[in-house]
Amino acid sequence: MRSEPPGAARRAPARRGVRATPALVLTAALAALVACGGRDSRKRAASGDQGQETVAALATLPWDSVVARARGTEVIWRMWRGDPSINAYVDGWVAPRLRDRYGITLRAVEGQGPEIVNQLVVEREAGRHTGTASLLWINGETFSNLRREQLLAGPWAGRLPNAAYVDSTSPIVSRDFEQDPAGYESPWGRVQFALIYDSTRTPAPPRSLAELAAWIRAHPGRFTHDQGFTGTTFLKMVLYAKAGGVRGLQGGFDSTRYAAARSGVFAWLDSLRPFFWRGGTTYPPDVSAMHRLFANREIDFSMSNNQNEVVTKVRQGILPPTARALLLTDGTIANTHYLGIATNAPNAAGAMVVADFLLSPEAQLEKLKPDVWADGTVLDATRLPDEWRARFAALDADPRQLPRDSLAKYARPEISPRYHERLAADWRSHVRGRQP
Amino acid sequence: MTGSHLAAAVPRPGPGRIVRGVLLLALVASSLAPLVLLAIWSMSGRWLYPALLPTEYSAASWRALGAESLGPALVTSGALAAAAGLVGCVLALPLGRALARLRGWRRHVGAAAAFLPVAAPPLALGTGLQVVLLSVGLGGTVAGVLLAHLVPAVGYLSLFFLGTFTLFDERVEAEARTLGATPWQVWRHVLLPMLRGPIVEAVALGFLISWGQFALTLVVGGGAVRALPLEVFALVRAGQDRAAAVGALLLVVPPAIGLAALRWAAQRTAVAPA
Amino acid sequence: MSIRMCLRRGSAADLIGLGAGVVLAAPVLVGIGYAAAASLGVVGPGATAAGVERIARVLAERTTWRGLGLTLWVAVLATALAMAGAVLVAVLFRGAGWFDRVARGLAVLPLPVPHLVAGALGVWILGQSGEIARVLAAVGAVRMPAEVPALVYDRWGIGLALTMAWKESAFLAVVATALLATRSVDVEDAARTLGAGPLQTFVRITWPILWRGLLPAVIAVFVFVAGSYEAAALLAPSDPLVLPLLVADRASDPDLGRRGDAYVATLLLLGIAVLAVVAHEWTRARWEPLDP
Repeated sequence: MRSEPPGAARRAPARRGVRATPALVLTAALAALVACGGRDSRKRAASGDQGQETVAALATLPWDSVVARARGTEVIWRMWRGDPSINAYVDGWVAPRLRDRYGITLRAVEGQGPEIVNQLVVEREAGRHTGTASLLWINGETFSNLRREQLLAGPWAGRLPNAAYVDSTSPIVSRDFEQDPAGYESPWGRVQFALIYDSTRTPAPPRSLAELAAWIRAHPGRFTHDQGFTGTTFLKMVLYAKAGGVRGLQGGFDSTRYAAARSGVFAWLDSLRPFFWRGGTTYPPDVSAMHRLFANREIDFSMSNNQNEVVTKVRQGILPPTARALLLTDGTIANTHYLGIATNAPNAAGAMVVADFLLSPEAQLEKLKPDVWADGTVLDATRLPDEWRARFAALDADPRQLPRDSLAKYARPEISPRYHERLAADWRSHVRGRQP
Repeated sequence: MTGSHLAAAVPRPGPGRIVRGVLLLALVASSLAPLVLLAIWSMSGRWLYPALLPTEYSAASWRALGAESLGPALVTSGALAAAAGLVGCVLALPLGRALARLRGWRRHVGAAAAFLPVAAPPLALGTGLQVVLLSVGLGGTVAGVLLAHLVPAVGYLSLFFLGTFTLFDERVEAEARTLGATPWQVWRHVLLPMLRGPIVEAVALGFLISWGQFALTLVVGGGAVRALPLEVFALVRAGQDRAAAVGALLLVVPPAIGLAALRWAAQRTAVAPA
Repeated sequence: MSIRMCLRRGSAADLIGLGAGVVLAAPVLVGIGYAAAASLGVVGPGATAAGVERIARVLAERTTWRGLGLTLWVAVLATALAMAGAVLVAVLFRGAGWFDRVARGLAVLPLPVPHLVAGALGVWILGQSGEIARVLAAVGAVRMPAEVPALVYDRWGIGLALTMAWKESAFLAVVATALLATRSVDVEDAARTLGAGPLQTFVRITWPILWRGLLPAVIAVFVFVAGSYEAAALLAPSDPLVLPLLVADRASDPDLGRRGDAYVATLLLLGIAVLAVVAHEWTRARWEPLDP
């Protein structure tokens, strides 16, 4: 089948063909186009973005018009989709009710904090006044980044009817990492950090950081923390302890106080590092990898930002049935997670209705159930109507759940997100052999 | 042509036979065992160290196939891959033919240009494509992801058709022309029938390339386009091993069957080497 | 056919051919352009002012170079292992009998397995509490997971290399088998009739043809392994960070201003790809006998 085009060997040299420069010119032109577009859009504020315009237009209208405007529409919600319990709650309980009562089609898509921010930034650079996602599941430094880049629409959260039930006096709910939501995000649930241990392997777990340090030394290679959000939260707890309590770090970011506390944290870590899993040379990428190590007996402790994750994970078969949650007497960090609306949201009205439904006593109660998600409620029981108050009180606690008064006693609020950012970055440099 | 007589050159009794036997066992273990384990994982209710087999079994993930994310993701991936295979083949055929006409240094530049989108790491390729697609309004859409998948697919298929047309006998086409056929008639009655085998193979290869894409879909789709690889990766990262194993089987088995069918068909027509 | 018609037809074919090349390479070139623009701080998250300071800063970091080193090491190791496995299978199982066909089929079985499934399998099988470790524990060879060699999240990326080698050896086995069945058979026949023994035939005839023919595919495997994100995300260590993970790590940095660093690492990855493409084409040009 081999072919020899006639005269190929004897063909006279052809004229010099296409030069490479058109390709380079094309590339340069495209890059310049994108660059120019990027420059201008960064100077542009949120004006012109569909989400912000909708929110502003609806600000003065009664709630019924918002609901009417949202009827028959689709809301795309960017949220973390890594837990089937949460997905079952959202897809299997929330979505049908939204459809039946408000005519809204809810579509939840995967997206975590940094991805959401990057996506919105790139969308803005490309000049998209109407993006893809309307509702966003955010908190902490994601909220901080989005506000700084003016990527959130608002204010809107205060005008939701169910916002009246929110526990607004609680410092955990009313401040997101010390920031005032200012109506740009609506609270959804609250959680508290806890360690996880196996009651058969560790019948007498350590109760404080000091006891934990002693335990680590006595059991080399059986403890570690992950590189992600949960691991940084654990390090923040140590930071609180080294700063003499959370009060030492409240009131905005202070680099001197931070530097002092940080050196304490790193001294603590350095003294313990040889006793960490794998000698502290490598760390699991995220908390799920840690759960796997813990469940498979490679380490004896896991951790979670949600004190009730033990309940759901045992039910899913990921953690052994003997797993338990543990609070440390030094205090563990409690925080709230929120819902925001993107400034270029295609359906801000729908997003507001969804956020309001998620804030309703009915939805919060369902979310709180141990066999659903066991995510704490942001509502204040005393503000609820009597029948709801009774139903919340009557909710059966799973035996694995921590008692509510212990949780309250050891809860510590979050501090400025800058601490989280700096601690995460500094830990990375410290561990990867570079000095911060 | 398969060198069976050379197999006789390998010493039959003694060490040669043992080596081949051991190697075959190793192949069985390394190729089949992981897939068997995947199947067991997909049915495991609780499987923790040091259990060799699951302590509890559960068909929950298989039962929930349609209700949860894996079913729709399977459909999305299938549609994307089919479109990528068909459209990729249609685009790559003339491109490959054009490349095959080049000679000398131009041919090498052309072949390198075709390989570049295949070799470029998908994560890196995706960041550039994402911006372009966003600015034309296709970011986060299935159409945008399809275009992104076409980039490596058309590259690879162009190389494939470059190879095909290099082996092609142009004299048949030239003869048809001298007999007075129009270009369209030449295509329909001469070229396409001759190219039927390679076209089928190209569609299958384009399908495979799109089917396995992860980083491209993630970056260009912005999380909104849920192809099967994205769902499986998210499940593994979230520690949901049973559901991830179900998704992994869905990812692996259909292309495996398709590839086996292709190889069997090729063997029957005895064109491609076994 | 006049010389002028020849010329015109030749140059038209050249134009079309090179135009095809431009169309195929354009998306990658745009990607390189955007990554370069973002590295210079002109576009992207955290873009401030144009300048080379971001590039200089990232290139001055040890993390970048250690990441590049681990990426290249894992790619080399995985490629070498895959090539060894593929050559072994192709040479030892050349026959037409059922034994050989089954072996070849098994060797090719991992071909449709995507990187991320291979990565997941790596975690489940090669981990210190993975299936292999459990078998070892069951027979009493080890007592606890820590006694099993660490192949996952390890600083040398052995587990990652083994996993990628497993997956890519299928691809190389296909190429090697095809090579042996088409290119070397005639020459080997001639050698046999001239009285050469099997080892001599292999060393002087088969192997030279085999490695030259495999080299383009080997380079392709190298760049596939180096650029893979999914498998590294599941198996690679946290330090050093392979380049795809470095890109993802920077892109999700809590500090928005640092996120642009990801584009410098992206440029490094694309640079590796361009070098690999040039090497791939050069080896093809040198040793591909079918090119006109």
